[in-house]
Amino acid sequence: MLFIEDAKKIFEENIREFGMYIMLFVIMATFTILTKGVFISSRNISNLINQTGYIVVLAVGMTLVIIIRHIDLSVGFLSGFLGAVAAIAMVKWHLPVYATIPLILAFGVLAGVATGFLVAQMRIPAFVATLAGWLGYRGALQLATISTGTIIIPNAAFNAICNGFVPDIPDIGILPGVHKLTLIIGILVIIFFITNAIRDRRKTRAYEYRVLPLHFFILKLVFVSVLICGITWVFAGYRGLSWTAVVLMIVLLFYHFITSQTVLGRHIYAVGGNPEAAQLSGISVKKITYVVFCSMGMLAALSGMMFASRLRSATTTAGQLFELDAIAAAFVGGVSMSGGIGKVMGSFIGAFVMMSLTSGMNLMGVDISFQYVVRATVLAAAVVFDVATRGRAK
Amino acid sequence: MYFLEKGRKHMAEEIPIVEMRNIKKNFAAVQALCGVDLVLHHNEVLGLVGDNAAGKSTLMKVLSGALTPDGGDIFIEGKKAHIANPWDARRLGIEMVYQDLALANNLDVAANIFMGREAVSTRLGPISVMDKHHMEEETQRQIERLKIDISSVRLKVERLSGGQRQAVAIVRATAFNSKVTIMDEPTAALSVAAIDKVLDLVRELKAQGCSIIIISHRLEDIYRVSDRLMVLRQGRKVLECTVVGDIDEFRERVVAYIIGARDDFAEKKVN
Repeated sequence: MLFIEDAKKIFEENIREFGMYIMLFVIMATFTILTKGVFISSRNISNLINQTGYIVVLAVGMTLVIIIRHIDLSVGFLSGFLGAVAAIAMVKWHLPVYATIPLILAFGVLAGVATGFLVAQMRIPAFVATLAGWLGYRGALQLATISTGTIIIPNAAFNAICNGFVPDIPDIGILPGVHKLTLIIGILVIIFFITNAIRDRRKTRAYEYRVLPLHFFILKLVFVSVLICGITWVFAGYRGLSWTAVVLMIVLLFYHFITSQTVLGRHIYAVGGNPEAAQLSGISVKKITYVVFCSMGMLAALSGMMFASRLRSATTTAGQLFELDAIAAAFVGGVSMSGGIGKVMGSFIGAFVMMSLTSGMNLMGVDISFQYVVRATVLAAAVVFDVATRGRAK
Repeated sequence: MYFLEKGRKHMAEEIPIVEMRNIKKNFAAVQALCGVDLVLHHNEVLGLVGDNAAGKSTLMKVLSGALTPDGGDIFIEGKKAHIANPWDARRLGIEMVYQDLALANNLDVAANIFMGREAVSTRLGPISVMDKHHMEEETQRQIERLKIDISSVRLKVERLSGGQRQAVAIVRATAFNSKVTIMDEPTAALSVAAIDKVLDLVRELKAQGCSIIIISHRLEDIYRVSDRLMVLRQGRKVLECTVVGDIDEFRERVVAYIIGARDDFAEKKVN
């Protein structure tokens, strides 16, 4: 009985976090059944990630922007514009890939500085400042592509970012047809996760008695390990890890680390929770605002390059509505409009929920108009759930 | 830090921990402070009372660096201090507990206590990794030291009661070897039980050697914890006395000065 009571308590305390994973699970399970297993196939999941990596990247940046109580509407066309600049850099300026990527990322940071200047320095509401950016970058994108229209990118290395896969280690005769490097990475991730969790638990127990009961701790380790195994197996079954997945993993791990483990991350949450208190505690709200918009700009640049790479070209309408997809993903992932609440991993799950819906309904041949309605319902339901559970926690 | 054993008479002869001389502050045409003196001794609790707009908060904001005075000097332990912003004040060991608490509700107890001065375990260029375990452990220690009733340092502040939040704000102000703690209305908007706890906390801090200034509307609270009291009225100091005697007599006398029915303090000093 004690076990069930504990389980109930843990579930109630973490219902907001669990809710998201449950939603993702339900959506994936439903589509898997409705499409008779096609949805969960290695090939589909791989494609799913490649198609929507650029939204995830934007959603991660948007999470931080919304945490500090702002919004950024300009990132869609900014990513489109910077994707076009990347194409021009390679096609017309003949820059190599390894020079183009850092250059475009730097442009993204510069765009972030501009937004940060308007919002932090001039105290213009972010909605208005970035609406101006939305207009401006849209114009800039059309100017950049005005002479040629769509710019075809011939560079194979660049196009591999969102189309290619990580090469496998040479075949050694076991497990033919399975991507062994992916399996090795998966096993390493599990080992890292378990040792980290055990070390953290031991340290915390020294002063805090409210640690997870041991059987739940073990249950959690087993559950996460099985989950990682499953994901790894799905990836390994097709062509292994795509480069997009690698980029996503790096971005997610980096931002997860920054937001949860560093002073900068703590300050971002403090500014979001209570800007006046943060300022009085010696945190520079202005500096944090600049940093967050610069990170958003940089991620918009990355997103633009990923999209250009995916299409193997820069188009005149690239980036259209990306910002709204990213914002929706963040809200589905549990980010709160009132600031200070939300996690990078949550937004990733949120983006994944939204892309799963699209992909699943496409597989089922659902009409595009209905798809919008379904996605709208999920977005509204997610936010209603979020608000309802938050009210109860108080 | 600890002056527990010393008598009050002896302490009065020491250099005061804070001395403010002739502080003036104008807001446009309004004279908020017209030459106020304030002395706070080591290990003393000073009550600061007055009607609305008497200048209490203005005087404390000058001391905590939130406002810069138009005239006057501040001495900390006998040394002239220049306080231009809250960071200067904090460097000098002056911490203020703001009336609106200045806590971030979305963060847990430990994160709030260490807000703005997070413990760092490693620095990787511009990125500093927090030492969370150290911060949580230290917070737990502080909570136990001040006998505060909070079950976990990982509780979000939004889940705490008003009294617990006030306690967190006070721990934040006193946890880092501050010399002087200013509390702006620490008992406002609290339940009776919570007020008792906050006042116990003030006594506990005094027993541990802190020097405290309390602004309050509630004279009973001042009476219960303060050694000395200072009354401001329309930007002037109208009374300064030790807290002694019967509470009713004390209240009657102080109220008379607060509302301006009596105003003979300055003349007495001249004589």
